[in-house]
Amino acid sequence: MKYVLIFLLACAPTLFAQETFPTNGVRDERAELYAITNVTLVASPGTIVSNATLVVRKGVIVAAGSAVSIPAGAVRYDMGGKWVYPAFIDLDSEYGLPETKQKKAAGDEEEEGEGGPQMDTKKKGAHGWNQALNPEVDSYTLFTASSDKAAELRALGFGAVLTHKHDGIARGTSAFVLLGDQRENELLVRDRAAAHYSFDKGTSTQDYPGSLMGSIALLRQTYLDAAWYRNAGHHEYNLTLEAWNARQSLPQIFEVKDKFSALRADKVGDEFGVQYIIRGSGDEYQRVAELKATGARFIIPVNFPIPFDVEDPFDARNISLATLKHWELAPSNPAMLEQAGIVFALTPALLKDKKEFLANIRLAVQRGLSKRTALEALTRQPAAMIGLADKIGTLEPGRIANFIVTSGDVFDAGTVVYENWVDGRRYRTAAGALADLRGVYDMTIDGSERMTLILDGAPESVRTRIVRGKDSLDAALSRTDDAITMRFATDTLPTSNSVRLSGWIEGTTWSGRGQHSDGRWISWTARLSAPFSAKVRKDSVMQPDVLGTLTYPNVEYGWEKLPVQEKVLLKNATVWTCEASGVLKETDVLIDKGKIAAVGTNLNASGATVVDATGKHITPGIIDEHSHIAISQGVNEWTQAITAEVRIGDVLNSDDVNIYRQLAGGVTTSHLLHGSANPVGGQTQLIKLRWGVAPEALKFEGADGFIKFALGENVKQSNWGDKNVVRFPQTRMGVEQVYIDGFTRAQEYERAIKRGESPRRDLELDALVEILNSKRFITCHSYVQSEITMLMRVAEQFEFKVNTFTHILEGYKVADKMKAHGAGASSFSDWWAYKYEVIDAIPYNGAILHDMGIVTAYNSDDPEMARRLNQEAAKAVKYGGVSEEEALKFVTLNPAKLLHIDNRTGSINVGKDADVVVWNEHPLSVYAVAEQTYVDGIRYYDRATDLEKRADIARERERLLRKMAEAKRGGAKTQKPTKHEEHHYHCDDIGNE
Amino acid sequence: MQYILLLLLCTLCCTTDSLSQTPSVPQTRPVVVLGGTVHTGTGQVIENGFVAFENGKITAVGDASTARFDNSRADIIDAAGKHVYPGFICANTTLGLSEIGAVRATNDYAEVGTISPHVRALIAYNTDSQILPTVRSNGVLLSQITPVGGLISGSSAVVQLDGWNWEDAMYKADDGLHLNWPSMMPSQGDEAEKSRKRIGQELAALDQLFAEAKAYSSTPTANPSNLKLEAMRGLFNGTKKLYIHADQAKGIIAAIHFSQRYGLAPVIVGGDESWLVADVLKQFDVPVIISQTHHLPSLSHDDIDLPYKLPALLNKAGVRFCISGAGNWNQRNLPFEAGTAAAYGLTKEEALASITLNAAAILGIDSTVGSLEPGKDATLFISTGDALDMRTNDVTQAFILGRNIDLDNKQKALYRKYKVKYGQKP
Repeated sequence: MKYVLIFLLACAPTLFAQETFPTNGVRDERAELYAITNVTLVASPGTIVSNATLVVRKGVIVAAGSAVSIPAGAVRYDMGGKWVYPAFIDLDSEYGLPETKQKKAAGDEEEEGEGGPQMDTKKKGAHGWNQALNPEVDSYTLFTASSDKAAELRALGFGAVLTHKHDGIARGTSAFVLLGDQRENELLVRDRAAAHYSFDKGTSTQDYPGSLMGSIALLRQTYLDAAWYRNAGHHEYNLTLEAWNARQSLPQIFEVKDKFSALRADKVGDEFGVQYIIRGSGDEYQRVAELKATGARFIIPVNFPIPFDVEDPFDARNISLATLKHWELAPSNPAMLEQAGIVFALTPALLKDKKEFLANIRLAVQRGLSKRTALEALTRQPAAMIGLADKIGTLEPGRIANFIVTSGDVFDAGTVVYENWVDGRRYRTAAGALADLRGVYDMTIDGSERMTLILDGAPESVRTRIVRGKDSLDAALSRTDDAITMRFATDTLPTSNSVRLSGWIEGTTWSGRGQHSDGRWISWTARLSAPFSAKVRKDSVMQPDVLGTLTYPNVEYGWEKLPVQEKVLLKNATVWTCEASGVLKETDVLIDKGKIAAVGTNLNASGATVVDATGKHITPGIIDEHSHIAISQGVNEWTQAITAEVRIGDVLNSDDVNIYRQLAGGVTTSHLLHGSANPVGGQTQLIKLRWGVAPEALKFEGADGFIKFALGENVKQSNWGDKNVVRFPQTRMGVEQVYIDGFTRAQEYERAIKRGESPRRDLELDALVEILNSKRFITCHSYVQSEITMLMRVAEQFEFKVNTFTHILEGYKVADKMKAHGAGASSFSDWWAYKYEVIDAIPYNGAILHDMGIVTAYNSDDPEMARRLNQEAAKAVKYGGVSEEEALKFVTLNPAKLLHIDNRTGSINVGKDADVVVWNEHPLSVYAVAEQTYVDGIRYYDRATDLEKRADIARERERLLRKMAEAKRGGAKTQKPTKHEEHHYHCDDIGNE
Repeated sequence: MQYILLLLLCTLCCTTDSLSQTPSVPQTRPVVVLGGTVHTGTGQVIENGFVAFENGKITAVGDASTARFDNSRADIIDAAGKHVYPGFICANTTLGLSEIGAVRATNDYAEVGTISPHVRALIAYNTDSQILPTVRSNGVLLSQITPVGGLISGSSAVVQLDGWNWEDAMYKADDGLHLNWPSMMPSQGDEAEKSRKRIGQELAALDQLFAEAKAYSSTPTANPSNLKLEAMRGLFNGTKKLYIHADQAKGIIAAIHFSQRYGLAPVIVGGDESWLVADVLKQFDVPVIISQTHHLPSLSHDDIDLPYKLPALLNKAGVRFCISGAGNWNQRNLPFEAGTAAAYGLTKEEALASITLNAAAILGIDSTVGSLEPGKDATLFISTGDALDMRTNDVTQAFILGRNIDLDNKQKALYRKYKVKYGQKP
């Protein structure tokens, strides 16, 4: 007790925050001592005490439990068995802050009408260079309480929130505030409670970053800049970096838009020794194992999608299976995270209708989230995440008196939140006032006019109706203690007359006076005829809930169980080895432990699954040197001439169904490139098409790093419209100078490092230095001969080689120069005439380059063509007479050589990765169809399995559509389907959605 | 030797400048393509067959082993071991209407305004396009050049790919009007409501237009005269077809009912989801011009090979269809779009028909072209191998209306030029 007293004294200053304010009149200080008795007390998750008492003094809990003596002078509230919980805490609020005006979506017509590029920040003052970094924003300085908004949040059970401006990549600090109606001085519990981040540039109008990978690069560079700024003394005053450094000791909270971005954020954090708390997105259940491995704690929304209106079967086709599955499984997200042992808080963020919050939490509980964890996630855990567990979140002596009073277990359907005490002050909820009135009443006006009054619906949204004959009219009802007022229309005409009533409640009877709109006064009474009984909830159509299976990925064609490596003997096929051994007839290929174990005739099958490949053809897996599949939110960081710092590897999307579609075309390895919008684009990522694994596991282990360069019309923005005439370069002349400048700076940077100086670490220059040292290799988008020669000369000046020219449609004009330089070629087979710089492109290009002894490949740059690269290879036979064996190498061994992975893949040879394709026909024929595709000896594609998957997809869709239709019939709100648009990236796409 | 090289270089220089190939002269002597596998386009394959033609018309097609020809009266072309096909027809293309997609000055296929029935692709057709020779050297000899954009983009025309000027190239002038059916699904996001409204407005505008056009066409001379409605007159007197571009099932059904209302027999172009409404298409005998088999499924849950097998699905359902390619330069891959359909369910001869006889029938030119039958135009070519397969497509000779056309093109010339540069074997 003494201890408690000391604690109280210690807290005193925060409790009397208004002490400095003068009083107009006499002092009116009260004891503010309350005893809430006869309650079922859930003081903290897992501790339920019935017949308990809670004592509160001056906003602080003094005592809580069953054997509590009530201090003299306390105001007593007998709660008659109601339940008391700690009030909820939301860590992702924007409560009390000025509205953030979101920038219009890119591509918006009106937006396009505005000016050209914006290279520099528009922030005035000593800020850093990027407008999306706002670490200096302290939300507490902007905070103004809003009584209406606070009441809305209290109605959901919240008593305190962490609020911050959701704007930018660095968003500054959040304030932890109480949801009372006092002056802000008393509501602010902590000024700088946490620092917030996201990948979303928010209202920044500056071009950079123009893609997700750009956001990630900016974040990385800012960590480096901040460290440099801290250590190297002040070359400049930089408000952004000052603030950034000053906020590092706070809890760091990162908001993401999907499960993969959660992994991305955590990875960046790991690089800089930061463990973010991640504000998730609700799809975490799809990658629980990977998210668990991050070690991060999460703030999880309960934004469960509402069903679609699926009555029109054609429209319903536009709803993807991924969307249908997510609709069904999203409510299980919290339960699945709990099961995986992931620590999380829950938030109403992202809910369009916040009133759905409790209902959704209860649905999550129905789906297996334990009540204890649910309460933990709403109270103690959020408090702990921001280091305030000793102040709030449980109902122990010394804690802030934030608690709710409910009719029963708060996680049970139908439970009403009556009161929400904030800082020891009592607030009654509107729901509590009306919920207990629910029922059917016989109503009489002036003794003769009879009607039925019905109050029903959820406690949070009680609906009041007057039913008279066939008409049912909504009425507006409000209650203050036992006084009620009500208004309703008396007919359904547009210019309807209305009646306003005022009265009072006595037991189950209401009565009072009222006035018609014509001025006539009336008397009325209403008697309860039938108490409210909760109708079957709309969600209960899901009872008993049969849920679909989570697949990997959780989209079309995903696997319930990932395929595994097998020992397989492919028997008696025509084997295109792409090696000196050539094409072998009636030959077996043995696959074991992910490798090609043997190639020969009559191989021993011991223990292997035997595939009879008689009459079939086997080739190495196809390698696409130029692809843009499986990439999230932007393929181009188009905003600067050199963006060597961005990495495609940061933004892999393993959910892209094109991975699967391309396996069906025999593709096993893809080189995912940055687009061609700038002379130096981003770092590329080589992947294997391991359909079903998480992004990181797609990566081709141990492969050399590459980077995308580009020349010509795209980089000089020739076809970008009249507004884009600002960014340097706008001519081929300028392109050369961009390179010379970049590499000169890189050389000087490297020399400075070698001299032992410590220049500011620059990720862009780091990548260029890697190129100079032949640690990173170039694949350069290129068309015309002048620029091809130029880049080779620049490279020679800086003593490195251009590894690959991609597209290279005029390569044939400078094949001798390319040969002398040692560059390889990755071309289109027959594209031309789509822009001026390809006017001289010829389909014989590949043949000429090949005949010159240049390593030549054909690529797709297109998710459809990638499925038919074998046919593209055939065009080298048609145009220029390359032999069939050599032509096949254009899409197998040759791209492997260009990518420096020919020791691993690209041909069929013992010891190489078992990346092979079984075709039903000659592999260069238009009639060839891949029947099986193996990656690392795993059969990721099999035509027979594919047919099963199609049937599964159809069945699963049918089941889910039926369930949605049932949900609609059960009264659920629905949304209309919209056009399903898959986004496929090409080189010159600059969008980031 | 030196002299020869010089001469060679000289001729190369001539052929690599910006001139396109010289149109060929009219057929003067009868020609017999003898031996080889004759694919008539009607489904018939004649091993060791022949095709004889005179004055631009086919005079006989048959079995070469029983036929005898007098090589003093006719030019005999030995096609033994080769394949003979009717010229391929690409429907719905901007070939000759656009030279370099990204260079605005070279684009003449999309007029300003949403309702442009009065504009005619034919008069913008550029016979000197460098692209044409590259397309016909893969066997594509006729095309339906088609305007793009708006709700009604204008009139298409059928041209043959060897001519001095558009009048010379014209095969069927103003064969039909092209209507782009409004997408009946709203797009994603907050714009959904806006796009619902737009869809309604567009459908209403079309309805109004056709009602007025029909009334207009019922009087021989309308007052006031109206170029747009005048151009639509042909729809109602049967001289113009109505091509409705629609991909979604709902749009296709709506388009058919719309046409019914005005007594018109439409052709659906695009038809991504036509397989879903095959019964309706069949019931009203509405044919489909499938635009490209080489594209991705439009929905992620569609069968991954849906576009590849769409022709086979329509075929099985008894819907008339043909296959078109995309854009302009890539029409040279039209044979392979059909080849893919054969890999996914059509027979090779059905696939062939989908770019020959069936295309001709849908475009309304099958009485004179589209198959190798006596009386039809001698528009045909010889390939050393299966012309639907890029592995074997190798066109050695082609004839348009009996004229032996030049199969050279700019790209071949550049190839020769640079082979010389590198001393590679010609």
